[in-house]
Amino acid sequence: MAFAPPRLLPLPPPPAAAASTRAVSARHHGGRTAPELSGPTPRVVVVTSGKGGVGKTTTTANLAASLARLGLPAVAVDADAGLRNLDLLLGLENRVHLTAADVLAGDCRLDQALVRHRALQDLHLLCLSKPRSKLPLAFGSKTLTWVADALRRSPNPPAFILIDCPAGVDAGFVTAIAPAEEAVLVTTPDITALRDADRVAGLLECDGIKDIKIIVNRVRPDLVKGEDMMSALDVQEMLGLPLLGVVPEDAEVIRSTNRGVPLVLNDPPTPAGLALEQATWRLVERDAMTAVMVEEQERPKKKGGFFSFFGR
Amino acid sequence: MAMSISGGCVGGDSCTVLAPSASSLRPPLRRAAGPKGHFCTFPHGASSNHMLTNNQLCVEHQRCPQSSTQTYALSRKDFSPITQDVEGFLHNVVNMGFLDRLKLAWKIMFPAPTIKESSNANIAKQRLKMILFSDRCEVSDEAKKKIVEHVIEALSEFVEIESRDNVQVDILTDAGLGTVYSVTVPVRRVKPQYQESEEQYRGKIVGVDFKDTGESSGNVDVTFDFFVPNENY
Repeated sequence: MAFAPPRLLPLPPPPAAAASTRAVSARHHGGRTAPELSGPTPRVVVVTSGKGGVGKTTTTANLAASLARLGLPAVAVDADAGLRNLDLLLGLENRVHLTAADVLAGDCRLDQALVRHRALQDLHLLCLSKPRSKLPLAFGSKTLTWVADALRRSPNPPAFILIDCPAGVDAGFVTAIAPAEEAVLVTTPDITALRDADRVAGLLECDGIKDIKIIVNRVRPDLVKGEDMMSALDVQEMLGLPLLGVVPEDAEVIRSTNRGVPLVLNDPPTPAGLALEQATWRLVERDAMTAVMVEEQERPKKKGGFFSFFGR
Repeated sequence: MAMSISGGCVGGDSCTVLAPSASSLRPPLRRAAGPKGHFCTFPHGASSNHMLTNNQLCVEHQRCPQSSTQTYALSRKDFSPITQDVEGFLHNVVNMGFLDRLKLAWKIMFPAPTIKESSNANIAKQRLKMILFSDRCEVSDEAKKKIVEHVIEALSEFVEIESRDNVQVDILTDAGLGTVYSVTVPVRRVKPQYQESEEQYRGKIVGVDFKDTGESSGNVDVTFDFFVPNENY
């Protein structure tokens, strides 16, 4: 088993590439280099959204990478049995040979199905099944619960288990949320995603997951200012849930997906990467942010001049 | 209506800075400006010449303070908050220079388009609110049937229902209240014990005896017996 024990103290001098990002995160968090883990480990968090395409898999990959970089061992689970994407985002698509389906069938051990990231020693990936497998894709809702328990019982349990939920609210969703105690609801500030997010929030609460936090993704500050897009404050007001992070729309997301490197590892960090990093801190510390209105700049009042009243 | 403007000079306690007060006044001014016309220039279609009387507001020539003492006691207490704002505003207007007043006139006659109310974000918010209310409060058909049955049962204790089949339950969204469940029940009549009746008493008064009818002394002295029927009868 390849888990390092969870390290909560600041690490010994890290390699040069990570040093500057650590300095950046230290600057943002008042000089601390590692967040304080809150709650018993392992923490099982499901990343869900309801609507597809809002950024669940990207968020899962980046949160997991960020956690691993902070020294908290994380397992990212791709709970989509039919369509697999998390491996692409982490750049591990060529190394996935065994999946949880094989573990359940008894063909291999759990630690053999876990794929470790090359650069981040604390990050592991687990896929639920091979898309092309001939076995029926119907997993019971107990599947992931079993996996989570097995990970908990292992000699070096991870600090975080992040479950990337499939889109929709059908059997795949039910399976994915079964072992979770917390949820991160990813949504974009548009009306369709918000309606689905509200529905999913209701389903999560019915299922017993009370700790739900939102990440508002793909925010375009220019449209928010021009009153064309709802702001993060509006989203929080509508859904009534605490805010974990606000991630701006960033072209770097596409570039990093294409390269297969999670975007939080970029140095220097991009806006989206920074936002996700901060969201990770808040996740670890069980904190929430307060959204602030982007303030309109006060137009200077022109006191004199004959033409000043033309045009506001 | 003329009253509200005639006391206009009175409102300003001190000469406040115009710019913030104008901007804060803008919404009520715009609302009021609709039915009443333009304040600054021609209220009620009267020309500005007519306003040079003592009691009415003078826009350009007269100084307000000299008429203020007269009208103060009369009209102050009648004013609604909106006219008080107007007074303050107009009071300040009179004390401005010509160019400032011209600027103000421009802003009032050609107000900047409101972007707030009809912006896309706000439209989306309103729609989302409505849809979230109705999504959250949608009940299953089975629940609807049970609601109808329970309501009929509760109501039948007090009224007689016209026909059970015509009872309907509707779920609506209302802008002010959110989700509203309405159960419509046609009623034939109220059950006798709950009827509103004028004759509350069922007793009888017998043996009325006036000792003093009060025509001379102003007091009435009477004895009588009041029978209340026993419930057994």
